[in-house]
Amino acid sequence: MSVRDLKGSGRWWALAGCLLWLAFTFFPLYWVAITSFKSPLGVVGGPTYIPFVDFDPTLTAWSELLSGARGQFYNTFIASTIVGLSASVLATFIGSMAAYALVRFTFEVKLLSGVIFVVVAFGGYLLGRHVLGYGQAISLIFAFVAALALAIGSSRMKLPGPLLGNDDIVFWFVSQRMFPPIVAAFALFLMYTEMGKLGFKLVDTYTGLTFAYVAFSLPIVIWLMRDFFAALPVEVEEAAMVDNVPSWRIFFGIVLPMSKPGLIATFMITLAFVWNEFLFALFLTSSKWQTLPILVAGQNSQRGDEWWSISAAALVAIIPMVVMAGILSRLMRSGLLLGAIK
Amino acid sequence: MTRNDPIKHFFIWPALLIVLVISIFPLIYSLTTSFMSLRLVPPIPARFVGFGNYAELLQNPRFWNVAWTTTIIAFVAVTLQYVIGFSVALALNRRVPGEGLFRVSFLVPMLVAPVAVALIARQILNPTMGPLNELMTVFGFPNLPFLTQTRWAIGAIISVEVWQWTPFVILMLLAGLQTLPEDVYEAAALENASPWQQFWGITFPMMLPISVAVVFIRLIESYKIIDTVFVMTGGGPGISTETLTLFAYQEGFKKFNLGYTSALSFLFLIVITVIGLVYLAILKPYLEKHK
Repeated sequence: MSVRDLKGSGRWWALAGCLLWLAFTFFPLYWVAITSFKSPLGVVGGPTYIPFVDFDPTLTAWSELLSGARGQFYNTFIASTIVGLSASVLATFIGSMAAYALVRFTFEVKLLSGVIFVVVAFGGYLLGRHVLGYGQAISLIFAFVAALALAIGSSRMKLPGPLLGNDDIVFWFVSQRMFPPIVAAFALFLMYTEMGKLGFKLVDTYTGLTFAYVAFSLPIVIWLMRDFFAALPVEVEEAAMVDNVPSWRIFFGIVLPMSKPGLIATFMITLAFVWNEFLFALFLTSSKWQTLPILVAGQNSQRGDEWWSISAAALVAIIPMVVMAGILSRLMRSGLLLGAIK
Repeated sequence: MTRNDPIKHFFIWPALLIVLVISIFPLIYSLTTSFMSLRLVPPIPARFVGFGNYAELLQNPRFWNVAWTTTIIAFVAVTLQYVIGFSVALALNRRVPGEGLFRVSFLVPMLVAPVAVALIARQILNPTMGPLNELMTVFGFPNLPFLTQTRWAIGAIISVEVWQWTPFVILMLLAGLQTLPEDVYEAAALENASPWQQFWGITFPMMLPISVAVVFIRLIESYKIIDTVFVMTGGGPGISTETLTLFAYQEGFKKFNLGYTSALSFLFLIVITVIGLVYLAILKPYLEKHK
């Protein structure tokens, strides 16, 4: 017992408050679960609360959902799973490499190079599109390559202006999350459409959606993994360096295995983000690679409010995440996540 | 301790390239589009209009309406999340009975798809077969139009936001509370400081930096709200619950008015940046006072 423990009546007031919050949290989940077992008549006839007591549960909604009578349920579920898993794995992997680099190596980028990139990309696109009269996609690609080349080249030269270090690069990555996603989603849709005209189909494809999710998960991954890597003892790596083990083997053979809990937690947080994501899926998919949130939202309008089937569809999207909440909280209890959150 | 090794480029470039291609470059492209008049339906050739789109937007009462709605939702929801979240975090930190159970359960809402949450909310708020209206009838209220009257609809959206994101506030504040030093409280207890005094004198000021960060993250995220509104009210009745993102979606995907939508996105970005900067500027003196 420490000084901070609650005593006396305060303890019971706090308990009452927490129970109230718990009820508020769980009632909606309970409601959707029982509604999915109600018959159409049972839903329309007014609210009922306890199975077998005030209504008779049926499996109609579930059998309709699973038999595919309610839209492309299987395809959507599989698409969601494939995109979710592969985007989270890729993002966790690529992001961890970047986070490790930003913790252990020195980076210096000249502010001027960054400015050159933006100016050349912006100006090059306008030049190609409106002065030289190339197509949008061609102008985009040329402007991008030119901007990148000039930016890299210029950072090698002696240039005036402030130097940006590792912290600034991390901030740059994380600040990507500040943008309203509609800005990016809409622009990405336009860019994908242009690429489609060139023959690279990206709208409603696996590649297009996965890359979008990887890019927008990277800031979180880098932010979380950086703290994990920074907390690892550096002595092991130093010992390996003395033995002339190359850096890539230090990373894959020593650092990654040591940070397994962090990797799992980061992977799960990324997966939750991708699994629930709505806006990008809405813009970038139409049929083949549609994800679960879009299907669930679509249940809404297709045939009026058929709550029993809507509930079943919503539950399918919810259940994997509830399982994950259990696993995550167990990880948290062991203090593994605390370091990341600070 | 950092070292220098050419292999560092191999580590960082994949991430850098993906972010540049997928997130930065579309921004540049859409910025150029925002200065043009560009429509797909009916198709008209692109024409440079300078700040025309921006001026048109700023004169559009619908834009101001939408910005106001989003601001109300964001500020009220974040305030409630912070107050409730802080209370629950305090209780959990002080080992309320059954703490383990609460800890597991408060994570769940965060991980549920907002679209699904909004659909569940629509069922619960349904005027004829929703449990909430039945409860209200028991207490003698008339059947309330939760989703079809502006005030109630905004309230419903705010409640859903609170339901979904208070867990995030609890999670972060609890992590912060657990790092506070014990000895300060022991000293305060020796001087017979009441729990209330301890809270305002010690806990709250020490938690200020993390509180600022949490509220900042939630505020920015709340401004982006679309999923719940899209499903719960579709922006209705009329456009009274339409948010900035939903407005951009309507203009971009229903009317394919590309230049206008891009301008809207950038105005949105400016609004968020200004709010963020003002927020940090207001709080800076307090943060420094408590350092």
